[in-house]
Parts: sequence; structure tokens; C-alpha cells
Amino acid sequence: MEILSEITLFSQDQIKLFEIPGGIALIISVIIFLVVFISISFQLLHETTAALMGAVAVFLVTYIGGFYNPELKILAFDDAMGIVDWNVIFLIMGMMIFMAILAETNVFKWLAFRLYEAARGNVVVIVFSLIILTGITSAFLNDVTAILLLVPLSIQIAAAIGLDPVSLVIAEVLASNIGGAATLIGDPPSTIVGSHIGLSFGDYLVNMAPVAMLCMVALLVINWLQYRKSYSESKRKVSETLTEQLAAESQIVNHSTLYKALGVFLITFIGFFTASTFGQMPPGVVALSGATILIIWVKPDIYNMLREVDWTTLLFFIGLFIVVGGMEATGAIEWMASRIILFAGENLDKAALIMTWVAGIVSGIVANIPFTVAALPIADYLTANIPGGSESRLIYWGLILGADLGGNSTYLGSAPNIVAIGLLAQAGIQVSFRRFLRDGVPVTIVTLIIATFWLLIRY
Amino acid sequence: MGLILCAARGGEASYRTQQAAIALAKERQDELIFLYIIDLSFLSKTAAPIVVDIDNELEQMGNFFLLMAQERAAEFGVEARTLTRRGAVREEIIKTVQGEEATTVVLGRPGEKQSAFKMSDLEAFAFEIEQKTDAKTIIV
Repeated sequence: MEILSEITLFSQDQIKLFEIPGGIALIISVIIFLVVFISISFQLLHETTAALMGAVAVFLVTYIGGFYNPELKILAFDDAMGIVDWNVIFLIMGMMIFMAILAETNVFKWLAFRLYEAARGNVVVIVFSLIILTGITSAFLNDVTAILLLVPLSIQIAAAIGLDPVSLVIAEVLASNIGGAATLIGDPPSTIVGSHIGLSFGDYLVNMAPVAMLCMVALLVINWLQYRKSYSESKRKVSETLTEQLAAESQIVNHSTLYKALGVFLITFIGFFTASTFGQMPPGVVALSGATILIIWVKPDIYNMLREVDWTTLLFFIGLFIVVGGMEATGAIEWMASRIILFAGENLDKAALIMTWVAGIVSGIVANIPFTVAALPIADYLTANIPGGSESRLIYWGLILGADLGGNSTYLGSAPNIVAIGLLAQAGIQVSFRRFLRDGVPVTIVTLIIATFWLLIRY
Repeated sequence: MGLILCAARGGEASYRTQQAAIALAKERQDELIFLYIIDLSFLSKTAAPIVVDIDNELEQMGNFFLLMAQERAAEFGVEARTLTRRGAVREEIIKTVQGEEATTVVLGRPGEKQSAFKMSDLEAFAFEIEQKTDAKTIIV
């Protein structure tokens, strides 16, 4: 053993860290997580079905298995309720209500069409303004909603001006993931990590919006370099009938609802910034308050309104928190985190860079939401055990940037990618895995490099 | 006088198919219908919040493609009708062929990069249409 320790340069304590703890509950909790993770990432099951299946497995093993063998207890129901981050659930639910009411007014398509008109046929201006609009919309609304609202119109505009819709739509998807990193409510990994460490909306914005803007500039430059030839070749004349059709579908539907929604959204937005002064009021409370005020004011049919709330998403998050909570309770997460410390050697910069790039690479291959939920307790452990971690929150920033930006490399990386590919298919355009990589990978690498420099310089 | 049915979408491959259907309609003096099918099955792959009336968004997108196809036909002096259906593409094409009593269905040969079907799938689908309806299929 002594010889081995000399050869491997690890101390006896470090060698002990390689030993996997023997608890059967730990192994089962990891297997449950892996089954859920693979089912989601390779679309073997619907995300919500997979997460619920995992949560139920955790409980059944705990109660039925634990009844016969106490070593099988993973996570009790009451403990699981404490692990679910209800702030994330209420924040997402509140924003869904906002989105549903705002989306009905057609304001985003109206904005997109105005930008198209203002560009006066300049293809580069049309493409860039739609990409930027998608990025900004994704910063304040859920990124999938931004894609569903803007991409169908973008495809029509691209088809009308003779541009390959793929060059525009993939860039919009990439912008949506980048824009989502700018605010606490933009992208699920941002919401999950931000809520977990109790970040206020303002704290998050100050730290992440500048780097998101830099990444957006990089996206525009890369897009121009890749497609400048096809932009200059696109025909610019769109027939009057087609323009009229675009204008007709881009009208504001209900001005009164729009003004009310924008008014309440502004108040809610201010609430996000000021919430921390009221005894650390969580953003979830602000979002839910804003949504409730809007419901009272706009008076939508409450049954229809609640149908608009996507309960499958909320159940997906609850299930996922329970599955990862099971791994946390059995010590599996702590074991994994201790391996990272072994390699990082208590060097905060090194640990943060490992977190950023691992999150970036893994999020491109598998879905970034379950990865973020699983990586979060590891980030907790590293932050608590590496000197300087708590003050700078560097590892959390690395996780957010890695998970948000890494989702851009493949179309499996995040939900907006999958939805956009589906929308393109509806336009008769099949985007292969390789085709997405061609646009996604360069942007992912460049933006992760920008994120790395940002983390090292800023913190 | 026969009736030609052509599924219309927004990609380059679809434009070539539409062009062939228009030329055929002009040559035979047949009636021409462009069809757009809304298929929302792709949304079932992810648990993302779908708070947008995506059916309406896709209907508008489909209407736009149909309008583009109609404009193309008009340029060649062919007046085309348009239809929108909802559901799985193959089933809806067959149902529409039966409902409209189409005599010819024009299907687009898969392009190198972008197409809804592989060639072998397309040939199998063409065979299926001819088995289940009285229409002839042409792969262009």
C-alpha cells in the first residue's frame, strides 16, 4: 500500500477518498438518478414521466425496501418536501401566468415585424435584429416561450426574403440560451442556481448580464462570418400580398390587456430588484404576487388561465429535486464532490473552471436541467470546502454559465433547441445533429472561453 | 379534368416539388391543391412550458407557405386552392386524397440536406397512397 501511495503521489487520506462508500442506498440512489438522466437525455421517456418515475422509485425503495432492511432508506417523504426548492416552482409558475397573458397580446410578433419593416430589406439588419430580440425576450421570459413566439414568424420572414431559415433559427436558439443566462428568470439553470443560493434579481443581473452581452456580440460575429455570403445573395423583394399577410398576423390583439400586463410586469420587475430589502423575500413570492395582481386586473377565465400553467414542467422539477435529494441524503453527492476537490487541490480557480467546462460539455450532450440540479449540491460542497468559495460564489457562477452556454452545442442540450428543430421540421426543413453542431459548437466554445475569462478577471 | 394534391412547406425541397406540381397542373389543365399539415407531436419530447397557442402560430405559418405556393402557381397562370389539416403527416395526406378525390399526388424526392422523408420511406409511402386511394403518385 505504501509503495502504491508513493507511486500515485496520493496520501493515505487521499487514497481513502477513492474508495466508494459501501451503502446500498447510495448505490441505488445513483442508479435511479442515472436511469432518469439517460431517459431524459436520450428522450426515452417524457422528461416529466422520467422524473416522476425516479421520485416514486426513491420513495418505494425507502418505505418498502426500508421496511425489510433499514439500510435501504434513501429519503423520507417529509425530508423530500424540504429538499424541493419551492421558490423555483413558484417563480416558474408566476412567470408562466405572465407569459400566457402577454403572449395572447401578440406583442412579441408585433415587435419582430416592426424590426423587419425598419430594416428596409437589409438582410443582415433583419437577421441581427431578430437574433437580438430573441435574446432579450429570453432574458425576461422563459426561453422556450420566446422561441415558440418568434421562430414561426422568423421562418416566414426568412422564406419570404429567400434566406435559408436554418441560418436564422439556429442563431435565434443560441441567442435564447445566451440571453437566458443574463437574468435570474431567463433560463432554468439560472433560476435553479440563483434561487438555491438566495441571489436577488439585481445581484444576478450585475454578475451575469455583462458576460451574456459579450457572448451575444460573439454570436453575431460568428453568425456573420458563417453566413455573410448567403446574406448578400438573398433576394430582398417581398411581394405585397406576403407583406400584408405578415402584417396581419403581427397585430396587437388586445391593447388594454397589453398595457395592464406591461404595467404589472414593470412593477414586478422593480419588485425583483427591491425584494431583498424586505427580509430576503424570495423572487418566487414576487413573481406569484405580480401574476396574481395581473389575474385580478385582467380577469381572464381562471380555469383557462390555470390550464395555461404547464403543470408537467412543475412536476418535472419537483420529481427531479427528489431524485437528486436522494443522492444527497445517501452521501453520493458528497463523495462525487470530494473527488473534484482531490483534482482541484483546494484551488478555487481550478475548481470553478472544472465546473464551468464540465457543465458546458455535459450540458451539450445531455439535458442541462437535470445536470444542474445534480451538480448544485456538488457546487455547495466545493464552495463550503475550498477557501474563498463562499465569498466569491465563483463555482456557482461557473455552473450557471457552463450549463446555460453549454446547452448550445447540440440540439439535445436544452429545451429551446428541441422545440426550434421541431418548428423547422414543420416548415419542411430537417436539421440533422451534425448540421446543428456546425453552428452550435463554435459559438459554445467561444462563449465558454469568454465565460472563463470573465470568471477569472471579475472574481 | 383531374385533381393534383401537393403538400407545401417552406424549405427549398418543397419549392421544387411545388414547381413540378404547378407545371403538371398547367400541362394537364388539372385542378391544383396545396396542402399544409400541422403536426404538434414534436412538443411531446420536452417538458418545457408551452403557454403559447402554438396551433395558431403554426396555422399562420402554414397559411404563409400556402400563400407563397399560390403566388408561384399564379406566376405560371395556374389557380391553386389551399387546405390546412391537423395530425400526423402521412395519415392526413391519405385522408385528404380520399376526401378531395385527388387523382394525382406529387411528392418531393428527398434533398441531400433537408427533407421530411428518406427515399425508401417516400417510396413506401407512395405505394401506401396508391393502395389506399385511387390516386397515382409522382415522385419528383
